[in-house]
Amino acid sequence: MTRMTRTTRRPPHSSVLRLPSARIAVAILAVILFLAIFGSALAPQSPLAIDAGALYKGPSLHHLLGTDYLGRDVLSRLMAGTRLSVLTAFEAVGIGLVIGAPLGVATVFLGRWFDFTANRVADALMTLPSIFFAVAVTAALGNGLVQAMFPVGILLIPGFYRVTRAATLEFGRAQYVEAAELLGGSKLHVIRVHVLRKVLPTIAVTTATAAAGALLAVSFLTFLGIGVQPPTPTWGGVLSSDLDYLNLAPWAPFIPGALIAITVGALNALADAYRDRAGAGALLSPVADPVIKTHSTLQALEAADDRQTAA
Amino acid sequence: MTGKPPHDEVLGLEDLHVTVHDGAATAVRGVSLSVAAGEIVGLVGESGSGKTLTCRAALGVLPQGCAVGQGTISFEREDVTDLSRRGWEHLHGTGMGAVFQDPASYLNPNLTVGSQLAEVLRVKQRLRRREAHRKSIDLLAAVGLHRPDWVFHQIPAELSGGMLQRVMIAIAISCEPRLLIADEATTALDVTIQAEIIELLRELRDQRGLAVLFVSHDLAVIRELCDRVVVFYAGEVVESGPVEEIIERPRHPYTQALLHVASVGDFRRRELRVIPGQPPRAGADITGCRFAGRCPAAIEACRSGPVSLVPLSHVHQARCVRAADPEFTAVPVTTAATTADAEAAELAAR
Amino acid sequence: MAVAELTAAGGALAAPRRRRTRAAASRIGGGLAVLIPILVLSSFITYSLGALSNSNPAATILGQDAATPAAVAHLDHVLGLDKPLPVQYGNWLAQAVRGNLGVSYFTQIPVSQSIAQRLPVDLSIAIGAIILAVLIGGTAGTVAAVRRGGWVDRGVTLACSAVSTLPAFVVGIILVVAFAVTAHVLPANGYTGPTAGIGPWLAHIILPSLALALPVAADVARQLRTSLVSVLEQNYITGAKVRGLPYRRILTRHALRNAAGPALTILGNDFPVMLAGAVAAEAVFSLPGLGQLLLEAAQTRDIPVVQGVLLVVSTFVIVINLIVNTVLGLLYRSADGVGV
Repeated sequence: MTRMTRTTRRPPHSSVLRLPSARIAVAILAVILFLAIFGSALAPQSPLAIDAGALYKGPSLHHLLGTDYLGRDVLSRLMAGTRLSVLTAFEAVGIGLVIGAPLGVATVFLGRWFDFTANRVADALMTLPSIFFAVAVTAALGNGLVQAMFPVGILLIPGFYRVTRAATLEFGRAQYVEAAELLGGSKLHVIRVHVLRKVLPTIAVTTATAAAGALLAVSFLTFLGIGVQPPTPTWGGVLSSDLDYLNLAPWAPFIPGALIAITVGALNALADAYRDRAGAGALLSPVADPVIKTHSTLQALEAADDRQTAA
Repeated sequence: MTGKPPHDEVLGLEDLHVTVHDGAATAVRGVSLSVAAGEIVGLVGESGSGKTLTCRAALGVLPQGCAVGQGTISFEREDVTDLSRRGWEHLHGTGMGAVFQDPASYLNPNLTVGSQLAEVLRVKQRLRRREAHRKSIDLLAAVGLHRPDWVFHQIPAELSGGMLQRVMIAIAISCEPRLLIADEATTALDVTIQAEIIELLRELRDQRGLAVLFVSHDLAVIRELCDRVVVFYAGEVVESGPVEEIIERPRHPYTQALLHVASVGDFRRRELRVIPGQPPRAGADITGCRFAGRCPAAIEACRSGPVSLVPLSHVHQARCVRAADPEFTAVPVTTAATTADAEAAELAAR
Repeated sequence: MAVAELTAAGGALAAPRRRRTRAAASRIGGGLAVLIPILVLSSFITYSLGALSNSNPAATILGQDAATPAAVAHLDHVLGLDKPLPVQYGNWLAQAVRGNLGVSYFTQIPVSQSIAQRLPVDLSIAIGAIILAVLIGGTAGTVAAVRRGGWVDRGVTLACSAVSTLPAFVVGIILVVAFAVTAHVLPANGYTGPTAGIGPWLAHIILPSLALALPVAADVARQLRTSLVSVLEQNYITGAKVRGLPYRRILTRHALRNAAGPALTILGNDFPVMLAGAVAAEAVFSLPGLGQLLLEAAQTRDIPVVQGVLLVVSTFVIVINLIVNTVLGLLYRSADGVGV
């Protein structure tokens, strides 16, 4: 009996870093992550220190990014605010990933009825604009950022669900899965070893895009004043206060705006890099799927599913 | 071909070269041919021999990266090689029309075939909607479609290949062009439908004096339909002449081999015949005859320098240094007569 | 043609058209049939938020002093708050389809009235945004595809990547800074209805609409470019060229028509995002819209208002998606014809 050698497989992460855009993106994200952990400690000044004599001053040696309407150092405020944004974004992505991804894989194996219901629920969730939903939830659960990001997380679930379901459908029925089953592996084992391996790149792409969306949601919510009590600094909060003083300092909102945009851009670039690396195997972002599967597209997609299930 | 073109020449290609891959290679070399009004000229050769590119060049629709390198294209004796986009827009439809293989893919899948036919009439002949509709129905009937009213309202996916090809022909002749270029128009069709389309083309030639450039790799069809035939190999014209002459007395070894393999005129083939080897890569630079590598009768002179077309009569020419010898045959050509003799001899021997 | 053939032909003429209209109608009907359960489901979800709330609406309405247990219980019964959730939901939905969304806990103003007051604002900027997104995205995508590989193409692609990552509120702020604060060309905030004058109305909605439209236009342009590039390589484009049709006509009637599908789908998908952006626009441009209404209601835990706004918003999203799917159905009669 020939000994079956384990084929060496490069983990998807290593080759992603070949692209220069991915490398820059990872560097940026590493900085952001670092700031999330150590930001408040490393801030040059106290984010809360008011200096009435230096209102809305431009960038200077003392205040690298200038001051805000109360004379507080913008750089310090942004650094301190990173933790809140990042943590709550993690919360939302975590919810989406932990619930959505396994559900998406499982739904392929749990029968037609479950699949149908889950799809309809996913469709319904995707009709709700996340911000409206998030604000509405604060009405019910209280004005906290943690509460507000919870519905954002819920609304990320359909995205993960759809993508992992499609990827599982594509790979789960492949010949080698049947072969593995025939060779005696239990269904769970087959899922774990074979299907997950193929589905992981897709999940990686979706996680990056979901993180970008979640970060935007956090910035948006804090911009609207949800969930944070002043004077706690947040990215969106800094942006919103700058808005009130546009006549005084039209350049001011660009600083937090740029920070948000760069972070989101880095996440998107990372997602693109994963997508390129995974090539034809990875599904495009859920944005490309129809939100509402009305009858026409339903038929087409169902037919595609049937073809694959029958195959 | 030198000399002035005949006064009723519709399409003339003179020393045409076509480059591909943005000029990296020359896929069509020095092709000259002429199609006169009411004439059906066949272009025959295997895939990759350059016949499709030649057609595309003549139509002014070369794909991305391909261009006319050298030579001239003339339509009704006017040079159109460097025609502007506007010029081609005018020429297309009213001067020359085209039909291709796989007609379904050349029609917009989301519109009815009738609306696409009527569109051409409305745009190019400025007909009003109702007139265009009526004329479309007439055209569809003229190409042999029964129930033209019904066909008008179908989308391409709802029609068969034969019907679609008739529709394509209807569209191509709708504005009364003088030239029709048919690139493998019958290749994807059933044999019986093929026969009908061929009959249709012949009718169009007879009724309207249409000049047709008919590309195919099927020698039987060429023999059936064409007046003259031009044989392509590896981007060059290797032989041209009247169709019966080429079929009965081919002078270029490639043509001979082609006929031998295709067993044109002999449907009781005994064994599969092939020409050993492969044609040269498109655009490859070869000194001497491009068929020499596979030719059973190649001699030193074949490889030493470029071989030009040798005129064997005022209508027949071949690109072979040995073709001038009337006794020369590189490959035994099987005709129905010889096969019948051979089989009779075999039967007698048993 | 014999008479029999003629009548048969006449009948046959009508058949394909009849069949196609019937197919289209069944598509729309089918769409509605699937969407209504979705609408019910999403409204149920939003309605349940009220149940999640720990606050006791009856107590809130009565006020701290008057909220004795007896009074609360009585009000609960009056408001129907002591019935099980599905029943409450059923009652609410039954009223909602008649246009009665309840009454605000605090102001006693009917919710539908508050919403109706503010809806024109959001409708103006949402519809304006859709139009702008289609115009800008469509043009950019087409130009990029037609001049593929050139510097126009590369510029557009770069711009799209940059803009699509920007959230609507950032774009809004940039626009305000550029056009209102620095250049003083357009007003920075406020809203006047069209009845008070078309000019001022347009002046007030153009920046917010643009803020919503630009990120979506970027997505649309990117998708359109991809689809169009692939459609332009199809044989039927060559076929149309060879027929002598003018290039402009080929581009619009054949290429764009077939390539627009995925871009339209993207537009439909991005619509909820656009609506979320409307909330941002209202904040940045101080517009009295539904987003502000929702924010205030959330602060004060005015549940009926919250539920009403969510219902209206969900309906809006579903209607837009229905329209998008209908247009897709009309454009594409053939299953393989959807622009690659």
